[in-house]
Amino acid sequence: MAGRRRGGIGGGVEVLDSIYSVVALVFILVACVELGDAATAVDVYRLIQYDIAGVPYGSRVAGLNHHAGASPFAPGADLSRTVVMMPVRELNLTFLREYIISNQPLGGLLLLLPKKVSNRIVGEVKSKDDGLMRNILVELEQLLIQANIPYPVYFAFEDDMINAVLADVRKSDATGQPPMATTGGYKLVVSIPEPKRVSSPTITNIQGWLPGLKGDGDTNQLPTIAVVASYDTFGAAPALSVGSDSNGSGVVALLEIARLFSRLYSNPKTRGRYNLLFGLTSGGPYNYNGTLKWLRSFDQRLRESIDYAICLNSIGSWKNQLWIHVSKPPENAYIKQVHEGLSDVANELGVTIGIKHKKINISNPRVAWEHEQFSRLRITAVTLSELSAAPELLESTGGLHDTRDSLDEAAIYRTIRLVAESLARHIYGHQGRNIQIFADNSSLAVNPSYISAWLDLLSRTPRVAPFLSKTDPIISALKKELSDHTVEVHVQHETIDGMFSFYDSTRATLNIYQVASVAFDLLLLLALGAYLILLFSFLVLTTRGLDDLINLFRRPPSRKVKAA
Amino acid sequence: MTVFHFFNCAILTFGPHAVYYSATPLSEYDTIGTSVKAAAVYLGTALVKLVCLATFLNVSENDCFDPYQELLKVLINFIDVAGLYFALTQLTHRNISQTHKFQAVGLGWAFADSVLHRLVPLWVGARGLEFTWEYIYQGLEANANLVLNLSLAALGSLMWLRKNKPRTLIPIIYACAGVLTTMPSITSYLRRAMGWQTSKLVGFELFSSLMMAFISWQLFSACQRPA
Repeated sequence: MAGRRRGGIGGGVEVLDSIYSVVALVFILVACVELGDAATAVDVYRLIQYDIAGVPYGSRVAGLNHHAGASPFAPGADLSRTVVMMPVRELNLTFLREYIISNQPLGGLLLLLPKKVSNRIVGEVKSKDDGLMRNILVELEQLLIQANIPYPVYFAFEDDMINAVLADVRKSDATGQPPMATTGGYKLVVSIPEPKRVSSPTITNIQGWLPGLKGDGDTNQLPTIAVVASYDTFGAAPALSVGSDSNGSGVVALLEIARLFSRLYSNPKTRGRYNLLFGLTSGGPYNYNGTLKWLRSFDQRLRESIDYAICLNSIGSWKNQLWIHVSKPPENAYIKQVHEGLSDVANELGVTIGIKHKKINISNPRVAWEHEQFSRLRITAVTLSELSAAPELLESTGGLHDTRDSLDEAAIYRTIRLVAESLARHIYGHQGRNIQIFADNSSLAVNPSYISAWLDLLSRTPRVAPFLSKTDPIISALKKELSDHTVEVHVQHETIDGMFSFYDSTRATLNIYQVASVAFDLLLLLALGAYLILLFSFLVLTTRGLDDLINLFRRPPSRKVKAA
Repeated sequence: MTVFHFFNCAILTFGPHAVYYSATPLSEYDTIGTSVKAAAVYLGTALVKLVCLATFLNVSENDCFDPYQELLKVLINFIDVAGLYFALTQLTHRNISQTHKFQAVGLGWAFADSVLHRLVPLWVGARGLEFTWEYIYQGLEANANLVLNLSLAALGSLMWLRKNKPRTLIPIIYACAGVLTTMPSITSYLRRAMGWQTSKLVGFELFSSLMMAFISWQLFSACQRPA
């Protein structure tokens, strides 16, 4: 046999080589087997990470790999290697605020949002908890957005799996076991690359025209009325910022108004002597940066032809009081005209309209309302909103709390009636007369199913501008919808104000592993060693006898003696 | 830490084979060649078994216990016995005593079985972060399997290699060999029809294999005595 082997050495080398390569291939394949077999994988949404003028805000880290812990914690406990799981339902805001403000390190923070209630009956009376929850979410969001947090923060929705893990973690925490005990614990892992800065984030404005009817002798340009709504959002979790109320409601109202007037303008007999300009602007949370760029792109003649502009902002959940926000004093003739037009209709609808005047401070870069961008260019403009006071920067921009549940479709319906009627009376010169053009059950009635369909779409589409590409489906959808009702639809791409920069990785998958600690594996190794030694001794004893076993341990010294 | 766990489980799964080889006189007589040949025969047998399983068995969608299918499985398991027979009688072993031959064959057989059935799941599963008892149980099962295979090889050598054995013992030997061969089906029955927990099942496997080993040993030493 040995001779045969020697004889075949020439061929054997090649065979051996091929065997080695096959073995190497097998090893490479085996090493590539992915280890994605977690007990639980959960979709998580990362806290936004952004800079304003170079100052960092939000969560600065994305990767997570620590043991899970849950409150209550012993005071002074070191949580720098613990992922704190916190259900928002029972959130301890003071604890969290203390931790964030005093900059104490955590391994990570996992906030559990209450389960999405999708099958809520429309119009059902909202319970007290909802309001409380909303306030907590608003407060939490502002806290997280305005802090610089050096650890990963994720949001997840509560479900049975996560609640089971949380209960387990609580139990082991309560019994006083440290996370490294033999029974192990849960390890939360998010493997995600370091977040990268979004290069040149774009904002996309969409505009559409309904041109008015020029008389025969009219050589002058027709006056224009603009209806504007900003459609993008900003929130603690960009992947969850759907902004149903701020400003999905405004967008829906704008689309419906465009639809109603497109029916009027399609017939030359009912075509008004005003151009209507519809603008869906982006960059709303960032001082209405998109609106500014959109207005700047107008030529001087167009800008001067704008009679007035109505901006729609957060109109989805008011009861009977709506506010007109203006930058010029209410005594101003143009403002008065708009206000009276709106409040006449409001009286007929049985709601009240208040007016709020807020002067513009040109030196202050903060633009609280969309109409202020118009006013800065000396265009008469108002904002219609349910908010009675100007929001701060990045406040009321469609965050976590702003979901479909918080909306009242009737409010949007009323707003559309209000704006459409007052516009129509202005266009057709029926001021002060009680004529209902968009009356219910007429062919020009506001369509509730159109409203709720668009609200549904907007309420499940996060629209944080830096994370929307130029050809994002929602932008295409808005463009298509606007081009169905208006003409000369134009999409304008701009870059966001350089003061703001954003970082990607807005969503990830959280793997929850139930792990044993190192101590357990050490113990196991010891036990196995003992077992194998016992087995060895037993086998030697039974097959060779005690003398051999003893000789095994004696042999080395006896050799030395021989050598000597 | 997780590679550590993999290492532990691998020790538990494959360690006993190595210990058995080095502790018993097998290492002194250098019977590794016999073991390797037995492992090769095991590979061939496993292939034949796979082909038979694929040909004669339906794939059951639900994990229920079908007596007819299980009976077929038992029959197919007897191919193992044929393989062992081939390994024990037909292969030209170097001139080693029967006592060592059956141990070497059984060891090679069990080791090949462990490598084929347990190495890949171990590599894929035990390195993950998630902790389960599964791989520790699997290692214990490998231990029980080693003992079972050694017993079966011992009985096989009694049946086919030893000519002058006490007549009264012959039916007992055959019955024990039959029990050993149906052992995988018995555990599968307990797991699926009775719904036993893995821990209980592994305990049963260890216990039963030790019992069968004891019986086989008694039979072997009874035959060893000059009649």
